[in-house]
Amino acid sequence: MNAYTVKNTVSSDKVIVADDMLLTKELPTAAGSKMLDGYVSLFEAEALTRATAAGYTLGGKADVGEFSIDLLGETSKNGALIVDGVLKNAAAEIVKSGDAVAALTLDVNGSVRRAAAQNGLVSIKPTYGTVSRFGTIPVVCSGETVSILAKGVDACRDLLDAVAGHDDKDGTSHSDAVCDAMKKDATHAKLRRVAVIASMEKGVDGDVKEKLALATAALKENGAEVVTVDGNTVSLARAAWNVLMCAELCNNVSRYDGVKYGYRAENFSGIDELYTNSRTEAFGDLLKTAILFGSETLSTENYMKVYDKCQRIRRVIAEEFAKLFAEFDAVMMPACSALAYKEEAVSENRHLAFEENFYTAPASITGLPAVVAGGVQLVGKAFSEQTLLDAARILTKEER
Amino acid sequence: MDRETLRRLEMLNQLSLTEAQKDSVIAFFADREKDLEALDAIDTSSTERMVHVMPIMTVVREDKVVQAFSREDLQKGAPETDEGYWCVPKVME
Repeated sequence: MNAYTVKNTVSSDKVIVADDMLLTKELPTAAGSKMLDGYVSLFEAEALTRATAAGYTLGGKADVGEFSIDLLGETSKNGALIVDGVLKNAAAEIVKSGDAVAALTLDVNGSVRRAAAQNGLVSIKPTYGTVSRFGTIPVVCSGETVSILAKGVDACRDLLDAVAGHDDKDGTSHSDAVCDAMKKDATHAKLRRVAVIASMEKGVDGDVKEKLALATAALKENGAEVVTVDGNTVSLARAAWNVLMCAELCNNVSRYDGVKYGYRAENFSGIDELYTNSRTEAFGDLLKTAILFGSETLSTENYMKVYDKCQRIRRVIAEEFAKLFAEFDAVMMPACSALAYKEEAVSENRHLAFEENFYTAPASITGLPAVVAGGVQLVGKAFSEQTLLDAARILTKEER
Repeated sequence: MDRETLRRLEMLNQLSLTEAQKDSVIAFFADREKDLEALDAIDTSSTERMVHVMPIMTVVREDKVVQAFSREDLQKGAPETDEGYWCVPKVME
């Protein structure tokens, strides 16, 4: 696969790339799926409109895995992006190459945060509702967030400043007053106390442990207290997130039936076969698996036992974070178990994304902001983006 | 998850799996069920569901057209159209 699905010839010092989950008016948007191959939207993502109004130029679109639920993009209809036997993320490769100062992405299941950690980049997943989701391909509407990936903190901060704000077209959008209070000119607290949740370091390899140790040392050098805490429920986020994500995904992709737009099978004998053959031929294995799991969690037998339970667990986790934020300014945790995914490991375990999201699910399920820098993730209280980005500067050892 | 239940799910979701895909899906369900066992230990009987992660109420917008597309534009991405209609196979015998 190529990193780009479409590349524009542009000349600007403010070139950005959008991942293929963001609709573009002139360029095709496929969400990595054969189902939407060649689809061109009639309108574009609000975040892109705002970025353009702020002087950014779209340099092209970065490929994604099918509906962006996978590890880094390996389930794209165009195939996985592999470099020297290691799985890569398209947006991260484009940003690393210098083609774009930043990428606008949709963080559905943590792929952009894993990519940032593995490539020494900085990413910010802002508080849910601060950047409009209008014009993004809907997958997990209750938790996905337009996010930013860049080489450095300033590029993240500048693009976030450009795209954040109230949007009437997004019913989950915060007011301008709330969004403005989160922007770069707003006064914000310095990071003083950071919690490290012991149970969230389960399964990480030596490289990630080293990144966590380096981050701890850097924060301490800058006057922050880093305290290890345990006995909390944050590590249960993955189990609940996988249920909520698949349930919402199942509903959201039910619109793709081969009738009004998207892929239609060539062979069918009636309307039911048109639906079934179109969806069977166009959807990939991981997406089909997620659809079926989501459907089962919403069944009469499982709705209360599984789906409803996970909605309650979501509150339990949010309350756990609230307790932590009464004492701490941020919670540090890994963003992934390893700093590289080998091609063979991914092909041996095709469901790895549903295990690796152990590290990204806590911020996804609660809508809290998360910064990845220096190979680690900092989750903060709602609207604490600027505090987190200041900390990211420490973690990347950038000069102010 | 057994094959009979899976067959029902395939029908509900308009999907048709190969035997190998069925094995993979059943393994996925088994892994997720193990994950969910850990949640049973948490008593959520007095915890309210959290549907919205932020305290945002869905607002009712003023009833006015703010963006409209022509039928011609809307049908640009359609697999098959005829004189302004979307074409599907016959649904009534």
